[in-house]
Amino acid sequence: MVQLRPRASRVPPSAMVDEGQPASEEEEEAEHGLLLGQPSSGAAAEPLEEDDEEGDDEFDDEAPEELTFASAQAEAREEERRVRESVRRDKTLLKEKRKRREELFIEQKKRKLLPDNILEKLTAAGQTNIKKSSGKLKEANLQKENEDCDKGSDSKKAKVQKVQSVGQNKSYLALRLKDQDLRDSRQQAAKAFIQNSLYGPGTNRTTVNKFLSLENKRLPVKKAAAQFLNNAWGTQKKQNAKRYKRDLFPS
Amino acid sequence: MFSSGRERNLRGCGLLLADAGGARCPPCAVGMGEFKVHRVRFFNYVPSGIRCVAYNNQSNRLAVSRTDGTVEIYNLSANYFQEKFFPGHESRATEALCWAKGQRLFSGGLNGEIIEYDLQALNIKYAMDAFGGPIWSMAVSPCGSQLLVGCEDGSVKLFQITPDKIQFERNFDRQKRSAVHKMLVDRQYMGVSKRKCIIWGVAFLSDGTVISVDSAGKVQFWDSATGTLVKNHLIANADVQSIAVSDQEDSFVVGTAEGTVFHFQLVSVTSNSSEKQWVRTKPFQHHTHDVRAVAHSPTALISGGTDTHLVIRPLMEKVEVKNYDAALRKITFPHRRLISCSKKRHLLLFQFAHHLELWRLGSTVATGKNGDTLPLSKDADHLLHLKTKGPENIICSCISPCGSWIAYSTTSRFFLYRLNYEHDNISLQRVSKMPAFLRSALQILFSEDSTKLFVASNQGSLHIIRLLEGSFKHLHTFQPQSGTVESMCLLAVSPDGNWLAASGTSAGVHVYNIKHLKLHCTVPAYNFPVTALAIAPSTNNLVIAHSDQQVFEYSIPDKQYTEWSRTIQKQGFHYLWLQRDTPITHISFHPKRPMHILLHDAYMFCIIDKSLPLPNDKTLLYNPLPPTNESDVIRRRTAHAFKISKIYKPLLFMDLLDERTLVAVERPLDDIIAQLPPPIKKKKFGT
Repeated sequence: MVQLRPRASRVPPSAMVDEGQPASEEEEEAEHGLLLGQPSSGAAAEPLEEDDEEGDDEFDDEAPEELTFASAQAEAREEERRVRESVRRDKTLLKEKRKRREELFIEQKKRKLLPDNILEKLTAAGQTNIKKSSGKLKEANLQKENEDCDKGSDSKKAKVQKVQSVGQNKSYLALRLKDQDLRDSRQQAAKAFIQNSLYGPGTNRTTVNKFLSLENKRLPVKKAAAQFLNNAWGTQKKQNAKRYKRDLFPS
Repeated sequence: MFSSGRERNLRGCGLLLADAGGARCPPCAVGMGEFKVHRVRFFNYVPSGIRCVAYNNQSNRLAVSRTDGTVEIYNLSANYFQEKFFPGHESRATEALCWAKGQRLFSGGLNGEIIEYDLQALNIKYAMDAFGGPIWSMAVSPCGSQLLVGCEDGSVKLFQITPDKIQFERNFDRQKRSAVHKMLVDRQYMGVSKRKCIIWGVAFLSDGTVISVDSAGKVQFWDSATGTLVKNHLIANADVQSIAVSDQEDSFVVGTAEGTVFHFQLVSVTSNSSEKQWVRTKPFQHHTHDVRAVAHSPTALISGGTDTHLVIRPLMEKVEVKNYDAALRKITFPHRRLISCSKKRHLLLFQFAHHLELWRLGSTVATGKNGDTLPLSKDADHLLHLKTKGPENIICSCISPCGSWIAYSTTSRFFLYRLNYEHDNISLQRVSKMPAFLRSALQILFSEDSTKLFVASNQGSLHIIRLLEGSFKHLHTFQPQSGTVESMCLLAVSPDGNWLAASGTSAGVHVYNIKHLKLHCTVPAYNFPVTALAIAPSTNNLVIAHSDQQVFEYSIPDKQYTEWSRTIQKQGFHYLWLQRDTPITHISFHPKRPMHILLHDAYMFCIIDKSLPLPNDKTLLYNPLPPTNESDVIRRRTAHAFKISKIYKPLLFMDLLDERTLVAVERPLDDIIAQLPPPIKKKKFGT
């Protein structure tokens, strides 16, 4: 006679589902409670499956396992705590990352700035407006926003410009980026005004083709327009054709 | 057409087309042998429009500023030759230009800066910000020591002109007009109500009359004392954009957007009354587009505009001697060479304002007789499009004769590139760390064997650089010689590599010995600027062309003018030769024929045969080819040294590639006009 295994070492019902055996109702109820805690019992489950077939009937007759409210509540709280923990960990990680990035940016910005001694000299210059043009540094690095706003506003009022050399190296001056932007925008506005008044709406302009073709239209024998052929038509097609011809007839 | 006295059988010359336009060419017989001519029309040269013009009475010079920021100086007494120019800059939008006392030139632009130009060092002296926003107008006080600038914020600023710089003095607000009356204020853009009429120009006369021209086509006379309108002339359907008053204040000129220039004069009402009034006397239609700048010299009206021509119209009643000098002058094409050529590889380098283009000429295997158009077996190839970095214009460029080096210069940098050719591919490599003293070069030239680079800088010094594979070595610098700078420096090097000639100063043309690195001799100074310079291959004769169309030949080894040069100076050039109005821009030689000189200007090219007799004023200068049934005797009788052909025009460049091939770069005027901004519509009956 085959010795049956003791019931205490019964495998968890979740392992039996893989083998295609019908999961009984009792097993399903117990699943929920057992799922959390037993990931590794799957390997041990297999050899015992055949034995359990016979045990299913007995399980169907028994009453479902009792889960007290307290245990369920404890489990729920446990879960919540774990979730909160993980969220907090994520948050701290993110915070650290952001902090490190900020520091990196500050570091880079500092690297881009001019050395401190030159900055001090610039701020100490006072009321005069200093323009910058260096022979050594590239133009992009030259223009640096001046932290001293007073100097900026004074420079606008100052009518007489004094070019002051900074340090022993007289080859550069300092410019305010904001001034340059303002100047550019005013220049653009002025150019747009001229363009609008000369070529904008309300002006009586015509194309060059029509202008040159006026004579042709009044001749006793009318000729075609001056730019009758549109050489720019189909340039892509012509290029493709040329390439095709070159490939077909390599010379 | 030519006539040949030497060869009985005129060999034909075939014509070869190097562009896709397929233009037909009339027959050309050179009469010296066969020549194939590459006719090039793919140089897409479009000059910038003229924005401001300023005339200086003391020196009879004209300053012209263009829309790309270039400022050119024309010497009106030297046959209207463009002697100097300042390269343009993208951010500079010049709106006003004026001369001050002592030949000082100032300009003001939309970037708010007042720029003074140094006419001796050929660079910008300084740029001073006026702190008023974009500058719309500028004027100099009659005494010449004060500068008035009209700014966008409505203020008029007064600057004192000191020997070195300008110094701010006062600021006039819109209300204070009394002090302004004493100066002549040129132009101010004011928006007047009613149909948004823009006043493009204002002129202030000393008797208190104010003349304004506006966008409605009206010229209005106001009385400044009472502030009322005195007279209103409606002269055009489009804007009247510019006004200039003569020094005597008895005539002024206005330019319209339709291209018409009107002359107004103060004439007496009846023949013996003292009362005078302003009458519109003469219209001139020499432009197709807007005339944005006019100037009034004592004897001529000068106008320039969007169609890029500079037109100088002498007034017949003011001109004393009525000769050819009193004819209309229209300056359209550049007075300098913008094209360089590599003869060995048949390459052409085109210089534009912000990029360079390298083209290889097409080739043909067909032959034909005189006048044929030969089909191309291989089309012209656009090999390279080299863009310059930065906002500055390119001043000058050159390609070496072997085609392996390209050099160009802007105001702040110098660029040198090495080219490598593998089969049909071309690769470019930049030579870095060019020395700073090479920037702002006025002229660049390579030696014939492409081992040396000669650079003329704007400071007057000449640099010689030896070119090595991928790098360079600074050999020597010739310091500027004595004498003032009269025009832009031109360079010429002898094909054997021994001699270097440089022009541009008032001392004359200097010739340097390259082997010993010292000054060899100086050609005596001539009072007209040099327009072209070249050294002949075996004889080492220096041929110099001046702006008054004189051509000299100077022997460098002998340090004196050649016999032929003395002969032609004694006899004088043909009067039609001297009446040509475009300068000679390039001189070259035939490698096997030392008696021939090839030179060209914008409307003709000429081969001077020194072995033939010189023409006098009675002979026909442009003698066409006599019909073949004429006897050879007549042909020999009418032959003379100047063989001129006007087939290819307008010519920007012409050179001899080898013994049998010529290249001619043409730029038809219609192709330039086709790329200009839109003109004003003209309604003609029947269209």
